[in-house]
Parts: sequence; structure tokens; C-alpha cells
Amino acid sequence: MPIRETFWNIPHWAEIAQYLLGLLAILIFSYGVIRRVRRWLKGQPERRIDHIRSRLWSVVVQAVGQARTLHDIYPGIMHLTIFWGMIALFIGTILATVDWDVTHLFFNVQFLTSWVYVLYELILDIFGVFLLIGLGMAIYRRYIVRPDRLANMPGNGFIWDDAYVLIMLVLIGITGYLVEGLRIAVAQPDWAPWSPVGNAIGNAFIAFGDPSNRFLHYALWIIHILIAFVALASIPYTKFWHLIAGPVNIFFRSLEPAGRMSAPVSEDEPGVKEWRDFTWKQLLDFESCTRCGRCQDVCPAHASGFSLSPRDIMIKLDTYMWQPANGHNMLGDVISADELWACTSCLACLNICPVFNDQFSAIIDMRRYLVLEGDVDPQLQDALANLGRYGNSFGKSDRMRAKWTKSIQPKIKDVRRDEVEYLWFVGDYASYHASMTDKTLMMAKVFQSAGLDFGILYDGERNSGNDVRRVGEEGLFDMLAEKNLVTFSKSTFKTIVTSDPHSFNTLKNEYSENGNDHYSVLHYSQLLDQMITSGQLKVSRKLGYKVTYHDPCYLGRYNGEYDAPRRVMSALGCELVEMPRNKENTFCCGAGGGRIWMEDPPEVTERPAENRVKEAASLPGVSTLVVACPKDLVMFQDAVKTADLEGKLFVKDLIDLIGEATEMNLAEPKEQN
Amino acid sequence: MNIVVLAKLIPDLVEELEIDDSGTALDMTWLRLIINELDDHAIEEAILLKERTGANVTVLAPDIEGVDDILFTAAAKGAERLIKIVGDYESGVNNHALARVLTPVMKDLQPDLILVGVEAHEDLDGSIGPLLAGYLDLPFIGYVASIELEDGKATATKEYPGGLSVEMEVTLPVVLGIQVAEEPPRYVAVSKVRQAMKTAEIEELEAGDFDLAGGPTIDRMYQPEVSEGATIIDGSLDDIADSLIGIFKELGVQ
Repeated sequence: MPIRETFWNIPHWAEIAQYLLGLLAILIFSYGVIRRVRRWLKGQPERRIDHIRSRLWSVVVQAVGQARTLHDIYPGIMHLTIFWGMIALFIGTILATVDWDVTHLFFNVQFLTSWVYVLYELILDIFGVFLLIGLGMAIYRRYIVRPDRLANMPGNGFIWDDAYVLIMLVLIGITGYLVEGLRIAVAQPDWAPWSPVGNAIGNAFIAFGDPSNRFLHYALWIIHILIAFVALASIPYTKFWHLIAGPVNIFFRSLEPAGRMSAPVSEDEPGVKEWRDFTWKQLLDFESCTRCGRCQDVCPAHASGFSLSPRDIMIKLDTYMWQPANGHNMLGDVISADELWACTSCLACLNICPVFNDQFSAIIDMRRYLVLEGDVDPQLQDALANLGRYGNSFGKSDRMRAKWTKSIQPKIKDVRRDEVEYLWFVGDYASYHASMTDKTLMMAKVFQSAGLDFGILYDGERNSGNDVRRVGEEGLFDMLAEKNLVTFSKSTFKTIVTSDPHSFNTLKNEYSENGNDHYSVLHYSQLLDQMITSGQLKVSRKLGYKVTYHDPCYLGRYNGEYDAPRRVMSALGCELVEMPRNKENTFCCGAGGGRIWMEDPPEVTERPAENRVKEAASLPGVSTLVVACPKDLVMFQDAVKTADLEGKLFVKDLIDLIGEATEMNLAEPKEQN
Repeated sequence: MNIVVLAKLIPDLVEELEIDDSGTALDMTWLRLIINELDDHAIEEAILLKERTGANVTVLAPDIEGVDDILFTAAAKGAERLIKIVGDYESGVNNHALARVLTPVMKDLQPDLILVGVEAHEDLDGSIGPLLAGYLDLPFIGYVASIELEDGKATATKEYPGGLSVEMEVTLPVVLGIQVAEEPPRYVAVSKVRQAMKTAEIEELEAGDFDLAGGPTIDRMYQPEVSEGATIIDGSLDDIADSLIGIFKELGVQ
């Protein structure tokens, strides 16, 4: 009967020595873990232990199931096979240990017998093959393909750490097979074919060597054991650490809406100057980073030649928190202000991170400190001063905010005086920017023609503060939000609608934190979708355009709304051709996070908006890029000129399409009945 | 070392200016006030000097709506002492009157250095720096772009038109009219200003009656009036030259 003969050919003293070594490895491992945990606990407090069930479930899906890792096919499969190969072999080893040194030793019972044992051998042999295939893929990718995202690490030790992990796993896999093969060559059990790889190696030994060489088996066994224990003991000291930190980090990830930023730990002195000013969870983020570089790959700032790489932010902060006392300042020496200001707040990095790091929160906390120190770009300083003074970034009088309404008859209701169903929060760009005037007027016309009960706040509206907050000027955000909230509280309405995804985000996710959530917030694409579906807005002409659509970061990745604008376009008779980077993979226009107020540094090669319009223009038969964000419109219209695509690509707002499909014309105002 | 900075609020040109019913003054109802930009530079220069030399900085301003904001902002930047001059500004004041009110205040404060923006767009009777220096019998240098302090002396760099700069050494105390600070005025985070509001204190001094003597009497204040439009001369280069010559002859150019 097939049976597992654990410790075949191994003297009893070696068996005992193995357990002693194992104990030593566990001690070294434990010390390393404690050392790591103590470092995290030096961070600031942050509450992350609610919703235990969802947290556990996300560990199952993301750590065990590797869901996000698999988004990127080649590295995903590579990692999955290594991960599951190792896990299966590890479980196999545990089972063998229990079988021999627990149930057999104490109860004289073995469960790895007969068909169970044969199946056990077969499964482990197959998973061993998975492991080696995955490792082969990893070696090929890291050392032959050499993608950018694995190159140019900020530090010298990382290439050795990366190599160490691969070498150890390869050695564990190969020595394991050799030990098995030699055992089979000597013992030649009847069930050997059930270990196909081990059997093949055994046959090779029989063919080319001395099948009775028990010493070789013994020596290889010792090597196999030693490597395995070294690997185990080294987990908390090497890149292997992500085996622990990754799942733990996934467990403690933020379950808040993506669009709700954490307030600073200290209100009086917002921001992070030293590594200890980060929360323990942020420190855990830095430790969990595996340097996979996916975030760098999708970062619009990095793609444009800015000095920012979210990967490097994580790596540098991790390095710094372990050796901070060598005379370097975290801000300035380790992380430069340029890197921090380059971020567009698009969330592509944290949306793709397999271990659910929040690179953006670290960037914001450091920005908050720069703002506190007054270390801001001159243009940004002007914008912030204007926002504080006039409530808009354009430096125009707040009394001019509703100047665009002058020509509109009948006059749009003032929500501060008249009760309405919809409060239209117009936003800075739609109110003040010359390129937007037509769109804003068209929106008013569409709303009026459809008989929508709506109004605006006229000069009572202030910038929503979404991007002010993401610049790191928390105090100014509070001030703007307070002013808007006071105005809201004096007005009667049911729903806020805005065409600006940035305002939409903060009104929806961040204003309600302040205890004012008796209204709902809609993006205009959502309202238009409802109006068309309900028949309130009638489409009189099917457009028949072939268009592509840019998902705004703050509507898509931040708030998960991908369908409403697509339904609207489809209802208007547009054929939508998707860009390669669409929905959650959308590529930022480069305006967010306050970038629209800052000067681009000279090292910028191709601005994100140029990169994006080229992507749109490359689609066959598409000459219209539809946007649903005033900043996108401004950015892309400009990029079309600088990328020399004028006449080839036209940037249209969703409301332009509505205007065409409902045959409304701004020049001759329709009488409203 | 004591540095006193004089700052004032002036009409913000982001709003349309309107003349009031008397026809001799701005209509203040719709006006928004903003710190005189050059005074903001004077505050910045004072703070930079404080950071270099450890001087004490006092900021002094007439008590006009919004003055608390500019004083607390100065405190957030690092000014130690904040003073506002309380008085009846609504019935009209000019720089002569203000300088006379400030003279005894300055004597009490005994500053080594008085900094003030070299001009403001509403200075109808000349800028206040030289007036104050006159009443205090102190030297004055205007259009200053940087200051070095050493052993009871100041070296001021004065900017002249045409890109010319001159360094002048002067014995303290002195009044300097600031054209531009060595670095642009820094950004002050709102949280810092809010902190300053909690911790800093604004002292109040009475201005008493304003003596407007020395200032101008305004007969009429008005918006720029549109004059006759320009004539655009079209045509080929020769045609244009011919008609130009014709016009010159007509105007009597020989």
C-alpha cells in the first residue's frame, strides 16, 4: 500500500536537529516580525478595525485569490503560479509533518496512505511545476524583458533583494524535486509514476548514476532543509516580508469612499514632516510595497516626465523609516517638493496597487506640510490667495460669478430666495472660463426647455474646495466648505447637480461628513440620463456620430460612475468607440489635485492631456472626443492645439451633444412655455 | 532692533470703481478692500529681516474693515506686535493727516526701522513714507528692493528706472519705502491664520481728529473718458506712407 515514509534515509539525530533548526528559524522570524510591528506602532493612531467581515473577505479575494494582481495578465499569472505553488508545497510540508510527527508519533496513525497519499504526491508534483514555471516567467521578465517599472530603483540593495527571493524559491523547488527523485531512484516504490517529475528525475539518476547513492540524497536533503529554514527566517528581513505585510495591509485597507480624504491627524499643524507623523497604516503601506511598479506604469505624472513615481515614494519612505537618523530630512532630501506637486490626484496608483497601498494619502500629508511652510508654486499661491479672497481661482470678483446668466430669459431662480428641486452648483470653470460659457448657457437652456425646477446660488456660490483640499490646504477647504454649507442651509432644495466632477466628488463625499446630508448630489450626466429615460428631455435627432469618451477621474475612479454618460451618448444615437484606457483605467488629463493652477516644469515631455488626445485621435473613424468635465474640456482643447490635432479631433462636452440632438440653438433663444 | 511696518487697505481693483453722488470720491458701498500690495512686500521684507537678525516686527494699520485679517496674517508670518489706529476714516482722510496721527505713535514705539510700501494707488497727496519721515525728522529712501542691517546702519538697495540699482548706507533710524521684497510675499496657510487669531492680540490706539491740511481739495473725480477714436490707415505700404505725410503736413509739420 502506498504510504508516506517521511524521513526515509534520514538518521534520527538529523530529524531532531531539523526541528531545533526550525525552532531557531521561527525565533529569528518572530523577532523580525516584532521589530516591524513595533515600527508601525510608532506612527499616529488611525482606526481601521470596523467591518471585520468585509475586511476578511477582501483578504480572501485579494490575497488568496490575487484578484487585483491578475489584472495585469503576464505578471498576474506569474505571481499566481509562484504564490499558489509555494502555498501548496508549504501546506504539503505541514501535512507531512503532522502525519509523521503528530498523528504517527503520538497516536500511531498516518493519514497520508493509499489513494490519499498518491493524490497528495501528484498534486504537490504539479504545484511544484507551477512554482518553477512562475519563477521562470519571473526571471525572464525581470532579467531579459526588463520592463521600465522594475528598473531604476531608488537605492542599491533592491536588485539583490529581488534576486534573493527568486534564487531561494528556485533552490527550494529544485532541491525538493532532486531529493524526491533520489528517494524514488533508490526505493523505487510501485506508486512512483504518481510523482511524474520526481519519477523522471529518479529514472535519470538510474540511467546516469549510481541508484544506490544514499549519501547524495542525504546531502541534498540537508541543503533543501537549510535553504527552506533560511528563507523562513529571512521573511521579515527581505522582500519575502510582503507575504505577511501584503495580506495584513489588505485587511486594514480603507473602506471609506475613494472620494473622501482623511482629515489631517492634527488640525492645528496639518501635515507630515517626519516619518513618525504618518499614521501606523501609512507606515504599513510603505512596508507592504513589493516594488512591482504598476503604480508607476499608470501614473500620468510619471508618463509625462515629472520626477514623481508613486513606486519610488513608497520605496523611499520605507527606506527612510528604517534609517532616518543619518542627517537627511524626509522632505527635501528624500522626497522633493517637485515630486509631491507633480501628483494629479487621479488615484490610478492606489486603484491598481495589488497590496492596496494608498500612495495618494502619503503625498497629500506631505503636501499639507509644504503648504503650512508656505512652500508653494507662485501660480498656485495666487490661486489659493484668490480662492481665499474671492471664492474662485480666477481672481475675479465673486459678484461676477453669475455674469453669464445676463442674457437668459426668464431669469434663473436664486436658490437663496426661491425653493427649487435642483440646486445647480455651477462651479468655477463653468462660471468664469471663456471656453465654457457656451456650454453653461446650453445647460441652462436644456434645463429650462425641459421644465426642470432648478436654480443657482449666484454670487453666493464658492469654489467647492475639492482641489484645494487635494493641494493640501485643509484650512482653506474648511473655510470654503463652511461658506457653501451655510448658504445651503439657508436654501431649500432636494438635489444638487453639477457638471464639475471635482465639485461633485467633494459635495457628495466630503461635505456630508460635516453633518449636512439631507440632499443628494448628482453629476449632470446622471441627471441628463434620468431626464432622457423618463422622457422629460426629448431627443429629436439621432446624431449618428462615432465618438469616444474620456472618463473623468473624479466621476469614474473616484465615484464609480461609468454608465450614465455612456447611456446618454447611446440615447443620442452616438456610437461609442472606447479608448484602450477606459473606465477605471482612464488616463488623467493632468488638471487634478491643483495641477491646473501650477506651472509645468521644463522636464515635462508630453503633458498628460496631449498623451490622452493622441490616444483618442488614434481610434479609426473617430473625430470627436466627448468629455463630461469643464476642466477636461479646457485641458483637451488646449492639448488638441499643442499636439497638432486641430481639425482632426474635436472636443465636445456632453451638453453640446444634447444641444445638437434636441436641436437647441443658443443664438435664437426659444420661448419657454 | 525694532522694525515697524505701516500697512493699509486700499480699494481692490477687481471690482468696478464707482464715483459717489458728491462726484469727488469713490463710492465705498460696493468697494472691496485689499492690502496695498507694496505694503505686503514691506511686511515680507520685515519678516525676512527678522529671520536674519532676530529683530522685533510690529505691524501698524488704520482700522478699516478687513484690518484684522491683514494683521493676523502678518502675525501668522511672524510679526510680534499688531496695532490698529482707530478713528473716523469714513469722513475722509489723506496721507498728510495719517502721517500726522502716526508721528507721536512712532515716537512712542521708537523703531530703528520703519518700512512702508513706497506707494499706493489711492495716494492722492503723495505717498506716506516721505511725509512721515518729514514729521519725524528722519531720512527716507524710496523704491527699496533689499536691505542689509549692520551696527546701527542700514544698506538699502534702491531701484531706478532703466535697470539701475544703487546701494545707499544710512544711519538708523530711517524710513524706507519698499518697492519689492527680496522674496515674493509668502503663502500663509489658513490654519496658521486661524491659529494667529486665537493667540495674537491686536492693540488699539486712538487716532483723534484728522487734520487734512496739506492735502489736495478734490474738485471732480471721474472715470477715464473715452476720447476720439484712432484712425486706422489701410492700404499698401506706399499708400500708408503717402497718407501719413499728408496728415503731418496738415498738422503743420515742416
